[in-house]
Amino acid sequence: MSNDHTPQHELVIIGAGPAALSAAIYTTREDIETVLYERGVIGGLAAVTDIIDNYPGFSKGVTGLELADSLRDQAERFGAKIELGEVKSITDEGAFKRLVTDSGELLARAVLIATGSDYMRTGIPGEEKYYARGVHFCATCDGAFYRDKKLVVIGGGNSAIQETLFLTRFASHIDILVRSTLKASDVLIKEMQPFIDSAKITLHIGVTPKEIVGDENGVNKVVGINKDSKEEDFNCDGVFVFIGLKPNTAFLKSSKVELDERGFVITNQDLETAMPGVFAAGDVRSGATMQIASASGEGATAALKIREYLEGRGREIKSAPLSVTS
Amino acid sequence: MVKNITIFTTNTCGYCQMVKTYLKAKGMGFDEVNLDSEPQRRSEAHRLSGALTVPVTVVTKTDDSQEIIVGYNLAKLAPAVN
Repeated sequence: MSNDHTPQHELVIIGAGPAALSAAIYTTREDIETVLYERGVIGGLAAVTDIIDNYPGFSKGVTGLELADSLRDQAERFGAKIELGEVKSITDEGAFKRLVTDSGELLARAVLIATGSDYMRTGIPGEEKYYARGVHFCATCDGAFYRDKKLVVIGGGNSAIQETLFLTRFASHIDILVRSTLKASDVLIKEMQPFIDSAKITLHIGVTPKEIVGDENGVNKVVGINKDSKEEDFNCDGVFVFIGLKPNTAFLKSSKVELDERGFVITNQDLETAMPGVFAAGDVRSGATMQIASASGEGATAALKIREYLEGRGREIKSAPLSVTS
Repeated sequence: MVKNITIFTTNTCGYCQMVKTYLKAKGMGFDEVNLDSEPQRRSEAHRLSGALTVPVTVVTKTDDSQEIIVGYNLAKLAPAVN
């Protein structure tokens, strides 16, 4: 190690969503030098969500961007450093983990994987072809292009209904295609009901999308298979897809970090992965509840476990208070 | 060499925020066209990018050639502005 001039850090957090930023707030207050690497949006999927109504402490809800900004400001106030870039791999070198990033290599005594998840694709014909030209995965980014236009939303979970409610600000009509059953929370279904009553939203249960059809001007329709196994056309100007989440773990495939059959990171009760000194928290972790509040809680837990890990390896942690109420 | 940079954004777009964060971190100035405030310029963003999405970043070089970056794509944005 003495001849190695690779930059060294105490803790590298991969990701900068709620789990990562919450962990960074705790570790930096403990004077653990912390660097975060984010390849996408600071705040993660939360930052591209219109309104977050179930994060404790915000009685009137909070926009995703506001929550993300606030978490980032809080982490940076205590000294967290956020780098915009991508971690490509992690290898175990004993006391240090070697990370390859798109801007070079670095070493870390401990690593927290908090890369979250991303929206899944349907894989049906037309989805890739019309991506960003009629097929979208971010309502808060692209909804404004569909003022007074007809839309199709694919999906029936919380994200699909939440994003549909946002899209009602712009679209003249929205068809929601749900393959099996509506899985969104009762609160969201209740919020959607007035739009169904006024015929702004039409819910189609038991429809499996088969193809997205368009021409040089963009998307014209979605072809679906209904519960009678018959083809049905849903004419539209654009399609928004929210069919579930996949973990951002492709960079771990050839590492010693163990993944479950769906690609989520397996941890023990201390949130430590199969690679000693490498922890995971938030949506990327196997068994995660996919809630922002849970991700923040896991981030805090991981931070305390990382402190224990570092202390166990001879690092003296300055005794900063863990909480202003303690 | 970069002459100027224009970003088409909306109020709710997290990826737009990231493009602005990146350019600010690099100490680079930019003009912003907020499509929520200027909806009549949506077609301009569409014409330039061929896409119905934001952010759209237009990097104009000193020779007046333009590079258009759709979305928050560091692999394309970084070389375009450096």
